[in-house]
Amino acid sequence: MKKLPARELGVGLVLFVLVLAVQLANPAFLRPENVRDLLIQCAPFAIMACGMTFVIILGEIDISVGSMAGLLAAALGTWASPSHGGRPLLDCVFGVLFLGLALGLVNGLLVVFARVPSIVATLGMLTVLRGVTELVLHGEWVTDLPPFIRQLGIGVSGGVPNPVLVALLVVAVSITLASLTPWGRRVYAIGSNPEAAKVRGLPVKQVKLAAFALMGLLTGVAVLVSAPQLSVVESGYGTGWELFVVTCVVVGGVSITGGRGSLWGVLLGVALLSIIRTALIFLRLGDQASYWERAIQGVLILTAVLGDRVSARRRAEVGA
Amino acid sequence: MKAFLGRFRQEAVLLVLLAAFVAVAWRLDPTFLTPKVQGTLVKLVLELAVIALPVTLIVITGGIDLSVGASMSLAAVAFGLAAERGTPWPLAAVCALVAGALAGMLNGWIVSRARIHPLIVTLATMSAYFGLAEGISRARPISGFDPAFQSLVAGPLMFFVLALAAAGAALWLSRTVKGQAVFAIGLNEKAARFSAIDVDKIKFWLYTLAGTAAAVAAVSYAARRNTVKADIGHGMELDVVTAIVLGGTSITGGRGTIGGSLLGILIVHEVRQFVSWHWERDEINLIVIGGLLILALVANSAFGKKTDSA
Repeated sequence: MKKLPARELGVGLVLFVLVLAVQLANPAFLRPENVRDLLIQCAPFAIMACGMTFVIILGEIDISVGSMAGLLAAALGTWASPSHGGRPLLDCVFGVLFLGLALGLVNGLLVVFARVPSIVATLGMLTVLRGVTELVLHGEWVTDLPPFIRQLGIGVSGGVPNPVLVALLVVAVSITLASLTPWGRRVYAIGSNPEAAKVRGLPVKQVKLAAFALMGLLTGVAVLVSAPQLSVVESGYGTGWELFVVTCVVVGGVSITGGRGSLWGVLLGVALLSIIRTALIFLRLGDQASYWERAIQGVLILTAVLGDRVSARRRAEVGA
Repeated sequence: MKAFLGRFRQEAVLLVLLAAFVAVAWRLDPTFLTPKVQGTLVKLVLELAVIALPVTLIVITGGIDLSVGASMSLAAVAFGLAAERGTPWPLAAVCALVAGALAGMLNGWIVSRARIHPLIVTLATMSAYFGLAEGISRARPISGFDPAFQSLVAGPLMFFVLALAAAGAALWLSRTVKGQAVFAIGLNEKAARFSAIDVDKIKFWLYTLAGTAAAVAAVSYAARRNTVKADIGHGMELDVVTAIVLGGTSITGGRGTIGGSLLGILIVHEVRQFVSWHWERDEINLIVIGGLLILALVANSAFGKKTDSA
């Protein structure tokens, strides 16, 4: 019998109280169309959070994903729009996925083979990729996304919006990967004790490389379902996403030092953070909301890691 | 001679880099190197350098501070809001310094007490401080400060502040027991704790110092530009970290010099200014500075590996 996942329960409880409070303050909150919008909004973050979960459980981090999303959206826009590339659907989809995978691999190579700490390596990539995005778009907006691309973001398949469908698929695959495959178990093993994993002969480098590549690939998937939701692509796309995704993962109970955490908790984290984002608007803070949103995100990360620390100490005291 | 070269190897490499840059700049656009142009650009580099001093010390302990740009924004907004309400400028400057110091103290407190990795702590506080600065100023620019303040602070004062601070930091680092303790912490924190070094206290004050330095830079910025806004410190942390890594400080701690960081700052700043001067394109700058950071990291990591096996 597994122990009760206290962290997941805690996040779930906070989520429940928050939903209740917002619902009481503004009864429009839980209307079906609003819930649907909310799900569509958090779909790309749920997708990226799955990738980030593996990276952080391994004891690494990838803060380049916001700029990566920007570059991938720019690529998608320029490839697809009739006035630029005018390429067919499959070209665009595989192009974005491949480019995402390649960028993730670059991050992985920097960390694994050049032995650069992941946070500074991906900080460099965060900057470079944003620059490349601006260079590609020349400060212009891509405004003529063809309908078949827009369908990826706003279309519905079997009654479920496409982004939600794709997110569900990614989550299902990720949970399977984490709990049912040797690779998933290796991720936890390496994250909880890298030295022991190395001594035991686990392929630490390959697993880390794969996790960064997966992160890139999933960023591509997230962009495919999120960028087409808007009718324009601009060079600022994805700014700040890295912090949002990392916040979701850490609030969801994944230990920032690696080794511990579950995708279920991360999903709760995504839901919680997305609802806080929307709630700020629904509580009629108006344009004030966007100013304070960053501050709230920062405070949330701090609270989450501090809470993690305190519980880790308690565990150490009890367990030792 | 060999020992001398060995000791200043990183600095020598940086000087060669700087010379190469000057040659390229001379070839492409000689007007960039005229005293008049350089004179207007030099003030910004002073602000970067003042922030880089304490951050170098932090990186030598094996830590990092990504929130310095946000602390600078917060301090600048504190200054602006105080000045706007008619506070005399010395008092407004004190407000800014207090805001910066408090921001640094919070970082230091969390890093040393809760022992959470400073990357995460300062990534989070970066977001929190920027958000706070935006929130309290409603993201609007605040301008029109006391002319006396502008002429005093924007003058050569900042140069003397930097020279004094740099000399002090370099001497403290190499000549005092506490300074040597900074290296000890970076090399092996556990061993440093067992050697009765007050690791937590040193860390706490270094982060506080970084916040305060960011506030000094903010006051200087306010005097120089006569306007402040919540986004003025945006991207500052990247320039500072890039310069420090370029200057030969190991990102994992234990190795680094003040001189190297100052040279690193000079190179980062000159390259950045030249790119915007010559191409008038900011996006190229993002690529160049980010690329420079990655290259410096890879080079340092390769270099570090060699000394390990030797």
